Parts: sequence; C-alpha cells; structure tokens
Amino acid sequence: MSDKTAKQLTAMDAGFLSCHDCGKLLEAGQMIQDRAVLTCTRCNSELHFRKPHSIARVWALIITAMVLFIPANLLPIMRVDFLGTKSYSTIMDGIIYFFHEGEYGIGLIIFIASVLVPLFKMIGMVIILLSIQFKWRKGLRHKSSMFRFIEFIGRWSMLDIFVIALMSTLVSFGGFTATVAAPAATYFSTVVVCTMVAALTFDSRLLWDA
Amino acid sequence: MTTTNDLIACPGCDLLLKKIESVPGKKLFCPRCNTVLVHKKVHSITKVLAISISGLLVYIPAIFLPLLTLHSMGMTQSGSIFDAFLSFYHQKYYIVAVLVLITSVFFPLLNLSLLFSVSLQLRMRSYSRSLPFLFRTALHMDEWGMPDVYLIALLVSIVKINSVATIDYNIGFFCFIFLVLMTRASTSTLDPEAFWQKIEEIRLLSTFGKNDVR
Repeated sequence: MSDKTAKQLTAMDAGFLSCHDCGKLLEAGQMIQDRAVLTCTRCNSELHFRKPHSIARVWALIITAMVLFIPANLLPIMRVDFLGTKSYSTIMDGIIYFFHEGEYGIGLIIFIASVLVPLFKMIGMVIILLSIQFKWRKGLRHKSSMFRFIEFIGRWSMLDIFVIALMSTLVSFGGFTATVAAPAATYFSTVVVCTMVAALTFDSRLLWDA
Repeated sequence: MTTTNDLIACPGCDLLLKKIESVPGKKLFCPRCNTVLVHKKVHSITKVLAISISGLLVYIPAIFLPLLTLHSMGMTQSGSIFDAFLSFYHQKYYIVAVLVLITSVFFPLLNLSLLFSVSLQLRMRSYSRSLPFLFRTALHMDEWGMPDVYLIALLVSIVKINSVATIDYNIGFFCFIFLVLMTRASTSTLDPEAFWQKIEEIRLLSTFGKNDVR
C-alpha cells in the first residue's frame, strides 16, 4: 500500500479523547472542563489528547541511554576467578568466547540481545523523533511498525544480566572458580530501563500528527 | 448520528474508524498504520482465571526451590531464582539487584495475582473501586515481568556451565518452566477489551444499585 498521506480524520480532530490505558473513546466536549485533570469513565486513568511532553521526555531518556551505553560496552561486565587469577570480560568478550567455543547459536542470541537490540532501539527512536521534529512524512507505516518492534523487543536486552545473575549463583565453588558481576552490569541495566521507559513514554500518534 | 460507541480510535495513529464486529481469533488491523485494532478471544475471562490459578500454584517452588545442582571436582552447588537476586545483592550491585528482583520475582507474582483477582471479581460480578486500577496495573506488569527472558538466560547458562560441571535438574527448574508457560498463556488468552467491557458493565450495575441485578 502506498502512503496515502492526505489528511485523514483523527479522533483528536473530531474532538474525541481516546484513553491510553483502556482505549475507550470519549467526547472531549462532554467532559467537565473546569476540573484540572480529566479521567476516563471506564478505567479512571488520566486522559490526554497526546501523552504530555512525550518528545522531550523520550529525547532525555534516549540521550541518557546513549551516554550510558558507552561504559556499558567498554567496562567489564563479568569477572571470573579461577584458582586465584581474576579475569575480566566485557559484553563483546563474552560473545567472542561463545564463538571460539563453537556455540554459534548462543553467541548469536547474546549478540542480538545485548548489542544489536539496544543499538537498534536507540537509533530507531532517534530516527522517529527526528522525523517528527522535521516533519519527514515518508514511510510512516514502516516507522510505526519499527516502533512496535522496538516496544516488543525492549525487554529481551535483560538477557545478559540474568545470565550473569545465574552464573554468579551457580558457578561459585569456594576458592576454585567463582563468577562475579563487574561495573558495566549497572550501566547496562540502566540502558535497558531507559530505553524501555522511552518506548512507554513515546506517543506513536505524534508520528502521524506531524 | 453516530455516538462514541460506534467509533474506534486506532491506538497507534489516532485514526477515527467505524467499529465493525469481528470473528473471535481474527485480528483487525488499522488501514493507516497497521496496528492491531481488535483481537477478540473466546472466553478470555474464564481462561485467564484458570491459567492464573495454575501459575500461582507453582510460583513458590519455581522461585525458591533450587533450579540446578552442579557437581564439579567433588563439590556441589545449587541455586534458585531468588538466590540469583541475593548474589547481586551480596556483591553490592544494588541497582541491578533491585531490577532483577522486580523483573524476575516480584512482577511475575503481581501479574498472576492481579489477573487472578480481577478475573475472579469479574466472574463473581462484584465491582470494587480498585478494580480498574488493578487491571491497569496487571497490563503493565506484563511488560515488566520477564520470566520468559529469564528462562532463555537459564538455557544459555546451562550451555555455559555444561563444559565445566555436570548438571542435575531439580524440581525448581521444572516448576519454573511451568510458571513461564502459564505466564505466556495468560498473555495470549488475555483480551483486554473484553475485560474492560465487563468492568464497565458491572461498574454501571453497581452504581444503579445492586437490587436491580438479576
């Protein structure tokens, strides 16, 4: 289907508010205007035509995530102690280890979950934000499906953190071998939280308003 | 004259559309942005009730019983999902520890128990003022509770550990797999629109007085 971007009637144009949480459609004119906050008659959540300050908030979260992504990848995320010798490894070291061991499937899963997915989320959100601000109206359908994909894959980046949690619990044989977390774990999990909150804060309807 | 009940706004792009009846199990997409508009499911409330009960039954063994026991060089070591949180906590990675606790222990429980209480209340047709809030929270828990991600992490760890130690699978492991299956099943049988319509219906009934019911 081609981009039929001739102005189509939206709920906002027609004076309807649709609830973010339960999707109920309400007539804005009917609502009592003197109250500061309008609430949905079905689920009690706050009503807005669009999520408030969505673009500014998403920029803030994405920039935070981008800054923290640098230490998350450069610093070690895991430390393995073997007979008294400590060896640190970054996210990439862990992935390369799997490829050396011949576990290509596992290496690929970790690479996708902890490198490609965060990168894709950040770059994708920047493209979406820029296209709203500069009113690029090309490929809106692709952009909104990209956003839905970003929303969907967000949580899978936690994979590496969970692996470290399990390894440090299970692989701890006294002085022999132990696996411990290293500083990048904090940075990396903050990146994941920031990008997930960004996807929640973003209002995809703004893409079509621009 | 059309009222708001005949119309629907696309959650993805706000396009105003006329509501059409759809067959259960079939998805309807927005013509402009391709977001799923309607996806009706059969007997959603009853199914969610049943699934959340069976999920809650295995919750405690799944989280607190050991998943695996490792044998290596004459030593053994075992751990549960909860121990994994504790190990981050003892290593003083508090932010990561809290995040792991929330996403793997706390939210899966909250998700199942909220779905249980909401679907039970809807089945019993008893409206309480907190009902909409409980269901809204349950919908958010679905995103932030990550037992399914945890399961994949567990499988990755097993592959990693396999080369250094022999592994025994404990009850916790199987209970956890079952918990993940139940969580996924509750997500796929959940029809939020059906829940909201039922909530609205019993809300109206409760405001008109309970005498008129039945």
